This record gives sequence, structure tokens and C-alpha cells, in this order.
Amino acid sequence: MAEVIIIGGGPAGLSAAGTLAKAGIASTLLEQRATLGGAIHRQPVGSAKPVSVSTAARHRFERLMQGIATPLVRLRVSTTFLGIDGDGCMLTESRTDGTVAALKADAVILATGAVEKIRPVPGWDLPGVSTAGGLQVMLKETSTPPKGRILLAGNGPLLIALAAQMIRAGNPPLMIVEAGNPLAHPVAAFGLLAHTTLLREATGYTLDVLRSGIPWKRGACLTGITARDDALEATILHADGRTEIVAADRIALHDGIRENDIGLPAARNNGKPIILKAGDCRQALGVFAAVADGERAGSEAASLLRGNKAALTRFERRIDRQVAAQRLLAHIFAPALPLPPLSALPDDCTLCRCEGRTVGDLKALLTVKDGLSGREVKHNGRFAMGSCQGRFCAANTAALMAALRPDVPAPTLRDLTGQRWPVRPVSIAALIGAASNETTNDHEVRS
Amino acid sequence: MSDNTFLWQGQPIAFTAGESIAAALTAAGIMNFGPDMAGRDTRYFCGIGACQGCLVQVDGRLTESCLTPASAGLQVTNAGGTHG
Amino acid sequence: MTRTELPSSVLIAGCGIVGAATAFFLARRGVDVTIIDREGPAAAATGAADGAVSVASKRPGPMMVAALSGVALYRQLLAEGVLADLFTPRSTFIIAASDEECTVLEAHGAALSGEGVTVETLGRTALAQRFPALSPSARMGAEVKGDGHAIGYRIVNRLLSTSGVTVRRGVAAKHLIEAANGRIAGIATDKGEFRADAVVIAAGNGAASLLRLDGVMKPRKGQLLVTERAPALNASMPGSIMSGRYLLSKGSQKGGPASGRGYGLVVDPLVTGQFLIGGTREDSDARQTNDFDAVKHILADAVALVPGLADVRLLRAFAGVRTAVVDSLPLVGRWPVHDNLFVAAGFEGDGICLGPVMGQAIAALVCGEQPTLDLSPFTPSRFSACEVAA
Repeated sequence: MAEVIIIGGGPAGLSAAGTLAKAGIASTLLEQRATLGGAIHRQPVGSAKPVSVSTAARHRFERLMQGIATPLVRLRVSTTFLGIDGDGCMLTESRTDGTVAALKADAVILATGAVEKIRPVPGWDLPGVSTAGGLQVMLKETSTPPKGRILLAGNGPLLIALAAQMIRAGNPPLMIVEAGNPLAHPVAAFGLLAHTTLLREATGYTLDVLRSGIPWKRGACLTGITARDDALEATILHADGRTEIVAADRIALHDGIRENDIGLPAARNNGKPIILKAGDCRQALGVFAAVADGERAGSEAASLLRGNKAALTRFERRIDRQVAAQRLLAHIFAPALPLPPLSALPDDCTLCRCEGRTVGDLKALLTVKDGLSGREVKHNGRFAMGSCQGRFCAANTAALMAALRPDVPAPTLRDLTGQRWPVRPVSIAALIGAASNETTNDHEVRS
Repeated sequence: MSDNTFLWQGQPIAFTAGESIAAALTAAGIMNFGPDMAGRDTRYFCGIGACQGCLVQVDGRLTESCLTPASAGLQVTNAGGTHG
Repeated sequence: MTRTELPSSVLIAGCGIVGAATAFFLARRGVDVTIIDREGPAAAATGAADGAVSVASKRPGPMMVAALSGVALYRQLLAEGVLADLFTPRSTFIIAASDEECTVLEAHGAALSGEGVTVETLGRTALAQRFPALSPSARMGAEVKGDGHAIGYRIVNRLLSTSGVTVRRGVAAKHLIEAANGRIAGIATDKGEFRADAVVIAAGNGAASLLRLDGVMKPRKGQLLVTERAPALNASMPGSIMSGRYLLSKGSQKGGPASGRGYGLVVDPLVTGQFLIGGTREDSDARQTNDFDAVKHILADAVALVPGLADVRLLRAFAGVRTAVVDSLPLVGRWPVHDNLFVAAGFEGDGICLGPVMGQAIAALVCGEQPTLDLSPFTPSRFSACEVAA
């Protein structure tokens, strides 16, 4: 019997597993956290109560969970994914005891979701500053709102979604600083009428934020953070050109999402294993596309394993609709004024936190007459060479390189990050102790 | 030792069942998780194990505090292995 | 061009350490140099090397002589400031863990001493004192003094930025352009023709097709690992270690594998506080892949000798494809048939150590001088394949 491994228990992974099960194909779904759901349907841990979500969202998650409620779907939670080696072997690490295992399968569906984009500003790497998604993880898992004065800053719909959830949980944010001005695009917003559920959820969040009366600074941006006493001070550049200093206990940043695919191999529909990508890790389009894309990947895997032709058009139509919806959202949230260019950042602003590399370090490296490639910048400047393997600095480094050298082709993310396992650092002791090439059948674990 | 605390740099930190070490430290008001192996401050950031910026040592093993559930009696120290 | 005259321009194919060093020494003489590379500087073997600048693994013979000159040149360039901060002098410790290994290590240490290398043989107790990070299984060590470490891609970057030569990235050489007088006029590439007074082929495995060297060179892959920082363990290591196990086999530490894959353990404490751990030698050209079995094998060997590494995290695995020559000696010298064509390739695992000294020697040859280093053991004319027009 064919073995399929699915990496990631978010909407795409759950949907792929359910689709495979419907086709009678067994799969093992790996999830790094203790609960399923992914970023959007993240579940409370222990005895915490779930955060309030819309009826549509609750039903969507229930449907996904019903799809995997079959012996054909085996779950391995608290298991992180370390990548796929040159022999097609999947490496995993247990979050509870740190042990490493190597798994073989006929097909693997990578559904590792998205990572947040964070525009660097001076002080983005200070303790107390996190991503908005990071703040949301804690809120959803513990059902306890983060304490203190919390400033949300950046760009995109997640900021108001998080603000609405914080309001419902009992500690509204101090302020939302949003580069776009979504209320200034009524015509574009009208286009969202074609996307009923998305519009209903977005409207709900927006109304919550407007009703709460918390300052929602649109067309504004955060330009720097400093630590003062036991708190943080954020410098805000408002739409009217005014600068304001706001004291906060915590600051959450968010500038959109991108595919969480660093280090992952390219998709391929032959070989062992077959490698497919689903959801945000293939193209960051959000939850609606992720569910459809999980179905697509599940159907494609089933067809490839059985050697028949998959009919994927209907999934592609659904995904195309979400591409259109995301395009509308991007238009609605487009920065109202041009954001300060990365090249205007002060030299001491951190670009690569892991290796402590700054804007000035990159500028100094680029003064040679030849156009250094992304790989040379990585090697000689140590950008994207650290523990996060470029997940938070590679894109910013590439963008700043492009801004500083408009006449040289910009490096790709892959030039800076490479494409190899392990996709995250792993204990040497655990690697040595790993069992080689076990099959998933022997180790069934249900949460 | 109480059954719902772990030790952070020798001090007891309360946690609720299932909570990550990072969440428990944050709830206790600890934002700075101390120096990493290169001497740079670590802190909770992405929440999903991607940024490696919240590394701590748990019973001597280096791990992401955002992805590691707290459990009673764990000895958690900063990633750089220094005390204070 | 006569033998006493500088060429007005030189074209170098290949921007690894050998090409960059050749360019550096030519530019120092005032020669106009252009380097072309299919990808860019240090994109192939140089960018995925263990960085040993070492005579420790050498046996008496031409490679020992070359390695001694190679290390001496690194020291000289460090003293001159050219390689400031990039060459780290340190000892290499060859470690024996069995009776058999101890016997051969003693003989090897004596052979190195005979060549003028400073070697201190350390028994179990002395070794444990000098190198406390080693496992008690280390029975004996030979501390080879005077060695050092250099990161290949950083050396290339420094040589290029210091000399200011022109590097044309993303230019793939297709074939040599022959001139009517039997000389080489330049190289035809996918971006047009590049012409020069003299041409140097320093293109690693790419040299085989440019020079039609089928059967003389073959790709040899090496997998390497880098750990995260572990400052205390790193600081406790007075040098790099090399397992003495290789001494039991006939080949050199960096020689070819007996079967498809061989292992030779090296652990180098890097200045960042990280460790570089190697490696495999494989008959393969798949440079994009690392496999779990190899990584696990290398790490198990490393932890057996340095137990403290078990607590460190593996950060990155990578692979390089080196160029091996069938008789295990590189090809360095003037091309037999074309007076203005030169080759320097096939260094396998010794490119970082030998790159600068070979680049210096080729630069001298190109300028019509006799290099200080005797290149005759490496002459391309030892292969009949090199006696035909390229």
C-alpha cells in the first residue's frame, strides 16, 4: 500500500489528508505543534478556551477535522520537519523528547504554510517586539490576551484580525499603525462581494475595530523602535507627515506573508517520493485557497500513485478565484504613501539578526565594482547564513541589494538561502541516535 | 517543586498545561530570554519555530522555546549557557 | 609574445581559488586580466571546501613539496596584510584511536619530520592535557604545527577585491578559439568571444571538456557540515583534528574512495565559534544533495573523537564537487601544443591549500618566468590526451 506523508496540520495539510482518505489512500500527517489547525485555525492547548471565531470559520475547521477522522489518516503531532535528504528521506524531530527519525514514503505533500514578512526598522529585533502572527499564536493557544500596552504595526488584513481577537479576549491593542488605507477603497471593496465568506470575516473584524474606538492609524508607518526603561518607544510617521512617539510594552509587526518553503526541494511528479506542495507554502493565498489546494494536492497524489490522470481543473478554478481575492485585498491594503525605502535605513539597523549583520555591512560589501551575486553576499557578508537560514532576512537583503544596485539583476531568495536539509538546526546527538529509514506503519501515534 | 512550575535561570515560572515555554516566560513578564551562543539577546518573535530567535536550553538541550511545551521541573536556561 | 615580455592581456576561465589567485598575481605584475565563470566567484569546489591549509595529511613527494610552499605563501600573504583576518594559523592534530593507527601515525609523524615539518607526538596523557575536548578513545596524537585554515570563498573575494580584476559572472565557456599560428586566440562563450594574449584554464571539472580531457579527470563529491556556535568547546580546541584512520588505507586522506564513497574525518574549530566537519569522498557530481546516511556517519565519527559536539546543533550540510585526476596529481603547467595556453586544475581536496601557490606559479609561467615551485610533476604532458590540440 502506498505511503503518503503530509507535512503540516493547517488547512492545506488537513484538506490533503482528507482528500486522500476519501480516495482510500492512507497518509501520515505531521504537525509541529500539539494541536492541529495551523495559523488560521490554531486551537487552544490544555484547558484553555478557544478564542471566538466566526461561524463560517468554525464550520470550515469542523469539516476539515471530519475529513481526517478515519483510520486512514495517522497523526503525528509535536513533530517538526527537518527536510528531505538527497535520497528522498524525510527527517523529523520530536518536540517532546528531541529524537530524530527518518521516514520513507511514496509521496510527500508539503503544507508548511507561510511565514510573515517583516520590514526591518531600527529596533525590530529588540525583546518585546514580535511578529503579529507570533502574538496571535500565544493568544489562540492560551486564550489569554497578551498583557500591557500593545502596538500593532505594519500592513495587511492580519493586523485588524488580530486587533479584533484581542478586543474580544479583553485587552485591545493600544494602536494599530497600518500603511494602507483600506477604508479609502470602497469600489475595490465592492469587488469582495464576490467572496462572501472572506468579506463577512473582514467586515466583522473591521467593525469590531471601529466600534472599539482604538486608534487605527491608516496611511502611517512605524519607523523605529527603541528600548527605554522597561518599555519600548515606537516612532510613528503619520499620513499627514507628523511624527509621534508612542510608548508600548510590546510591539507586533506584520507586513504580509510569504511561502514558508526555504530549504524545501522543488515539486516533482515522479521519483520516490513524489513531492507536491499545497497551500500557502506553494503560493501564499490564505485559507480559502489552502483548502482547495490541499484537495488539489491530495487528488494529484492519489492519481500519480495509481497511475491515472487527475482532473484538477475544478480546484484550479477555485484557486484562481482566491488569486483574484488576494489581488483585491492587496489593492485595498496598498500603502497609502510610499513607505520609506530600505536604502534610507540607518547603517546600524539590523538586517540579519542571527548573524548580527546590518544595513551598513551590506552597503560596505556592495562597494566593489563588480556586481556581487546573492551567494557571494551570503558567503562574504554572512547574510542569511545563521540559524533561521534566511527566513526573515533573505528577502530584505535581496530587496536592499536591488535598491542599492538598480542596474544589477536582483538575487533570488534561493541565491541567499540555498536549498538543503536540514531546513532547521538539529541536535547532533539526536541525528546520530536516529533510526534510519523507518516506515510510518510501525509507529502509529494518535493525538 | 510545584507540579506547575519549571525553573528559568533557577527561578520558578508557573505555566498552564500545554503552554509553550515562551508563552509561560512571556506571561511572567520575561521578554528577554538572555544571550544566545553569539551573545545576542534572544526573544519570542515568530512563534512558529522559523526565526530561531527564542532559543533556550531545556535540561541542557538547545531548543526553540516557542515550540517546546513547558513541563514541571524542567531546567530552562538561556541559550548562551551563561547565568544571570 | 616572447618569453621575456609580459602578455598585454590574460583571460582566465574559472573563478575558483586557482583562477582568482592567478589573476591576483598577474594583476600585481600589471597585466590586464579578465576572469569568466559560468556562475561566479567560488561557485563550485572553492565554495564548498573544508579550508585546510595543511601538510598534515601529505606523504613525502611532490604534493608534500607543493603543500609546504602553499602554507608558506599563506603565511607570507598574511604578513603582507593581503589575507589579514582570513588565514588562521593553527595546528592540525592527527589522532590515532587503535594500536594499528598508533603504529602508522608514528611512522607518518617521522616522515613529516623528515620533510622539515614540526611535529610533536603526544601520548595519551599529554594529548588529554593539550586537547581536553578529545575523547578518552584518542590514544595518541601528532600535532602538526604551522598549518592553518582559510575559507575558500572569502580568500577568493579578498584576492579579487584587492587586485581589482574584472570578473564576468554567468559566462559559460564553450570552446577555445585557435589562432592561425597554433596559438589560442581566446574562448568562445555563450556571451560571445573573449580574446586575450594568453589563456589560463582554471575551471575545475569544466577544464575536462574545454581541453578534451576525457578519462583524465573525474568529479569527486565531498559532503561537509557546519554547526552552530559553541564558543566554549571551540575555544578549548587548540587546532583542528583529523582522524588517523585514513593512514591505514593506501590512499591519502583526501585521495579517492576505495568503493563509491569514503570517509575522512576532519573537525575544524572556526573563528566564528562554529565547527566545520567533514567529510565524504564520493564518485559523484551531484553537488546539490546531502544524504542522511553520510551526515549521520560523519557526525558519529566526529562525536566519537570530540564528545562535546553531541550537544551542538547541526546548522547546515553542503556538498562540493572537486576535480580529481586519475593519478591523484593536479594538472598544472603550459599546454603542450599551444604556447600561450595554460592549465591549473584537478586539485581535488587540496585546492584551498594549493590555490594561491599554483596561481603564483602559473602567473610566473604566463609572464615567461620560471616559477619557484617545480611544476614538472604536474605537467599536462604526462597524459597522452594532452598532446593533442585542445
